[in-house]
Amino acid sequence: MAYDFSDVSVLIVEDNLPMVELIKSLLTAFGIKKISSARDGEEGFTLYRKETFDLVITDWMMKPVDGISLTRRLRNDPLSPNQYVPVILMTGFSEKRRVMQARDVGVTEFLVKPFNARDLYRRIAQIIEKPRQFVRSEDFFGPDRRRKNDKGYGGRERRTEPVMINVRNKMGEA
Amino acid sequence: MTHYYNQPQRRKAEFIKPANTLKQKVGHGGLSDEILDKAQKLLEENTHDFEPLAMMYLAALMQGVEMAKGYSPSMDKEQVIANMLYPTMQLKANGGMFHYSLVTMIADKLIQFLEVIEQPDIEVLEIVLAFHTTIIAILQGKISGDGGKQGQDLLNALSDACMRYFDKRPDDKVLGPVKK
Repeated sequence: MAYDFSDVSVLIVEDNLPMVELIKSLLTAFGIKKISSARDGEEGFTLYRKETFDLVITDWMMKPVDGISLTRRLRNDPLSPNQYVPVILMTGFSEKRRVMQARDVGVTEFLVKPFNARDLYRRIAQIIEKPRQFVRSEDFFGPDRRRKNDKGYGGRERRTEPVMINVRNKMGEA
Repeated sequence: MTHYYNQPQRRKAEFIKPANTLKQKVGHGGLSDEILDKAQKLLEENTHDFEPLAMMYLAALMQGVEMAKGYSPSMDKEQVIANMLYPTMQLKANGGMFHYSLVTMIADKLIQFLEVIEQPDIEVLEIVLAFHTTIIAILQGKISGDGGKQGQDLLNALSDACMRYFDKRPDDKVLGPVKK
């Protein structure tokens, strides 16, 4: 028994056409048949409103509307038909603060370019097998930003003492 | 003193468990190694020409350098740096997808550098130009893959240039020099 992606619909939002073709070929190899694409966040959101998608794969850097703004709209715009849609954000950035920025607008998974077929598959499998609950608070709506603790870790706890954090300073830096 | 995490929560959050429609549609079992290998082969055998794309990003990088040449403290420093950083990120992201992993490695090194510099000063711009020239040479020489020893030498030379920049600025070095 294997995954059957034949009924799954994916929206790719990417301004780099060769990259769109590459991703389409990977998804097709996975068995996904319904694949649409848009060139930026604005076009992507328009398409998202017209059709039903199970997954959105978007690039970060696009003009005029980037993948971060698109994700924000998917999650918060009253016109968004499904605010819970899983979003995979692709980018060349891997620095922690960039990942956190993406996480804070409601991205489900982060995929660093360049990637290989298994990298993309792992993100999709993660969404299928370990979906995150959503959180709605005063200033955030999106997938729970906390990863569950790895219960399997059996090593020594290196930091057992509580650490006082200078919250004000940290916030000032942000 | 009360730890902040022992204080009563002031802002309540609602937790929602949306229906897992993807799981309902695809079922169980994952994908076989055979399918994933086939997909990987498609990726590795793609014949898209990276050069036009890379040239577009290099032109944008050069534009960023030109704008940075006129930098003054009244300008938005982060925007000036971002004008160089974003095209570099595109080179890093796309090089490896289209058989130019050396371009990815070199652009990654430049990202690390641009992420920590304090000012877009003339020495920074000289270093950025050295990266720019090197990437053009790689494309013109059609040095695909990691470039072997020659590629490693180029990467080391550029890393050394970044290290020298931080050696002259011990205060910046605290922020974290480029990883070698």
